[in-house]
Amino acid sequence: MTERRAWRLMLALLALGFLMLPLSQALFGLRLTYTVRVVALGGSLLGALSGAVGCFAVLRRESLLGDALSHAALPGVAIGFLLAGRQLGALLVGAGIASWLGLRLVAAILRSTRIKQDAALGIVLVSFFAAGIALLTTIQSLPDASQAGLDSFIFGQAAAIIESDIALLGGIGLLVMVLLALFWKEFKLLTFDADFARADGLRSGLLDALLSTLVVITIVLGLQLAGVILMVGLLIAPAIAARQWTHSLEQMVLLAAALGAFAGGSGAVISALDSDIPTGPMIIVVAFALVLLSITLAPGRGLLWNQLRQRKNRRQLRSRRLESGA
Amino acid sequence: MMGLERALIELLLNFVTLEQLNGFLRSPQHTATVVGCLIAVCGALLGSFLLLRGLSLTSDAISHTVLLGIVLAFLLMTGAGWEADTSSPWLILGAAAAGVGTVLLTESLQRSGLVRQDAALGLAFPLLFAIAVILVSRYVDDVHIDEDAVLVGEIGLAWANTNSHCFAHCEPLIITPEHPAAQATRQCVNCRELTISPRDERAEFVSVCGNCGVYSPAQAWGAGLLDEAPMLVFFPKSIAVMLVLTVLTVGFIAVFYKELKLTTFDAALAKSLGFHPGALSLALMALVSLVAVGAFDAVGSILVVAFFIIPPAAAYLLTDRLSGMLLLSPLIGGAGAFFGYDLARGLLFGIFPIEKGIAALNTVFGLSLREAWDSSISASMVLTMFLIFVLVWIFSPRYGLLALAVRRANSRRRFEHQVVLAHIHNHQGTPSHAIELRASTLHQHFRWTPQKMNRVMMRLRALGFVSLEAGSAILTPRGDAHVHAFRKHMLAVHNIPDIDSAQP
Repeated sequence: MTERRAWRLMLALLALGFLMLPLSQALFGLRLTYTVRVVALGGSLLGALSGAVGCFAVLRRESLLGDALSHAALPGVAIGFLLAGRQLGALLVGAGIASWLGLRLVAAILRSTRIKQDAALGIVLVSFFAAGIALLTTIQSLPDASQAGLDSFIFGQAAAIIESDIALLGGIGLLVMVLLALFWKEFKLLTFDADFARADGLRSGLLDALLSTLVVITIVLGLQLAGVILMVGLLIAPAIAARQWTHSLEQMVLLAAALGAFAGGSGAVISALDSDIPTGPMIIVVAFALVLLSITLAPGRGLLWNQLRQRKNRRQLRSRRLESGA
Repeated sequence: MMGLERALIELLLNFVTLEQLNGFLRSPQHTATVVGCLIAVCGALLGSFLLLRGLSLTSDAISHTVLLGIVLAFLLMTGAGWEADTSSPWLILGAAAAGVGTVLLTESLQRSGLVRQDAALGLAFPLLFAIAVILVSRYVDDVHIDEDAVLVGEIGLAWANTNSHCFAHCEPLIITPEHPAAQATRQCVNCRELTISPRDERAEFVSVCGNCGVYSPAQAWGAGLLDEAPMLVFFPKSIAVMLVLTVLTVGFIAVFYKELKLTTFDAALAKSLGFHPGALSLALMALVSLVAVGAFDAVGSILVVAFFIIPPAAAYLLTDRLSGMLLLSPLIGGAGAFFGYDLARGLLFGIFPIEKGIAALNTVFGLSLREAWDSSISASMVLTMFLIFVLVWIFSPRYGLLALAVRRANSRRRFEHQVVLAHIHNHQGTPSHAIELRASTLHQHFRWTPQKMNRVMMRLRALGFVSLEAGSAILTPRGDAHVHAFRKHMLAVHNIPDIDSAQP
């Protein structure tokens, strides 16, 4: 049950997204430097990827797991640096391993104690983050100068993105998308009825791990741009916005990807207008603005729509009462 | 605030001397530990209720908002030309109000049914934080709020940000030319005018006072103008703020203990009995916000969450009673803060030097890591709390991993015993006796490995339940009694009439 308005919205977003650079050039006098183009491209690629993957996190009620996992990546960055120096690959692999360990730790706490999910997430989130901070402060006291910029993984530093990073983002992003498409049916079943999936003989433990791994990969790819604290916003905001417009998973994922790409690209462009506006936070603010718009305006579901319907109902009820009274 | 600090210092001076008090407060370690422990006590007490209500992550949402609140209040106050200090009561109240506001906002977002709770919180954290970061990097240019302070706070510098209090010899010293300490110097009045040197004969002199003026007590003592030292105490602002918050928290919990307990465990009953769960939970959130703001200076806006979540979670694994949690969690948090300072300086739990650990890593794996360790104090406090949590998780007598493993092994063993005893009991004295109970093939009936069968039989024989007779297993009288007792017990538990024993 795909809905036409969702397709239209998607087309409009894509058109607007493509016009973004020329428009901002014409209206605000933005200077299209190489950096701006690379960052905008990286932002929209990352937005599309995290929007698509984030849908599953949101639908499986694991939004906060994303938050915990992205915080948990920080010590991995620091250890990667200690072992291999400043190589992006090593840092990202370290981040992925740490984040994955955080995931296992949450699962272990939940399995073996009576601590509930929220507290388990909180424990992992803040202790991994503290470990990362402790390691980073130690690294920063090293005499060696190559540690400069490591703390950009905390808030994200878009200006550090170069062309090879885009290639990496594109390549791994494509791989994630292919995996999503290959296991589409299984993921869909797992998301909406995990018990049925298990009863139906799916290896739900394995699939669950695969899906969580995709989330971890997405988070790790986004660290450089959005940072460990804000990454979860980019993961879930497009998905929540897309959820308001459609009831079909296919459409939701596509729309979330489009919304994410739009937020990533336009956030990058807006932050390029003023050198004091950091890119990562700006992308999050744009993404949240999209959520706000969707929640108010989405037809059939949004707040505005609900108000109108209530008013209409009330009027009908009143007129009917008058009729029966007369 | 100043009056409270003064009263506290006067109280303390009854027990210690001025020098001792100043020496204590001037040490970074002591001040940091005291501030950390106070944050831990507040956080653990409030966090216990949050944990039991399933709201632990709300403290995370609050701490993120509180950053935005602090930044906004800071900008407003500096914009209005007031002195904005992160320990000013107005700033604390304003920022705490922002925290409570967000809780209400996410709750209403969730109630609209459009966004689920986890998604609403997951949206709120990064958004509020993002806005705060944009504001900080765009508008704020101040030492107290920069990105590093937001992350880790400055608990190591808490000792340096003080209010000074004077208790005796506090009159400002005014030195007039008649004062005995006044130093008169001669000054040439017409030297410059006539461009002559003071040695010239035409030079005219007046006597002026070289050190006249108004001196504060501290300046006067420093200049050596006083015979007796003024009694000055420099009291760190963070300690004062956190002390007030601790008193508030403890008082709130002491006064509303019964109500809090009831609303935490059975909100519906509380409401039907005429309490107001909503108002109480709002008050709880307000206190959480206040503590998060008060702790911002010391531990930043993210790590403070640990003080709310980790100690109560550890206490939750140790006790089943609310009063027990409220006693244990502040202790755990306080221990984390206390040993955390040592950890930052490279000493794990005050005994084990980390340098040795790194050196061992270097030699074992051939790495070349630097062995010196000097790390963030607040992050180390959190790490220590986490270590304590892990220790509790493993060793807790009731819910720990070890206890769990022992309990599981015991019940597995008991189950194996019951199965074998029941099998022997069923077949003993029946025609199939020889096939079913032959010791060498017994394992096939359970589909166990022979080794496992052997182990179980050894245990049963050691217990004196089973013996071997002509290559077959049979129950000893003791084993028989055990089987009957167990059977009776199980029938009674499941409320089934006992047919066998009714027969003669």
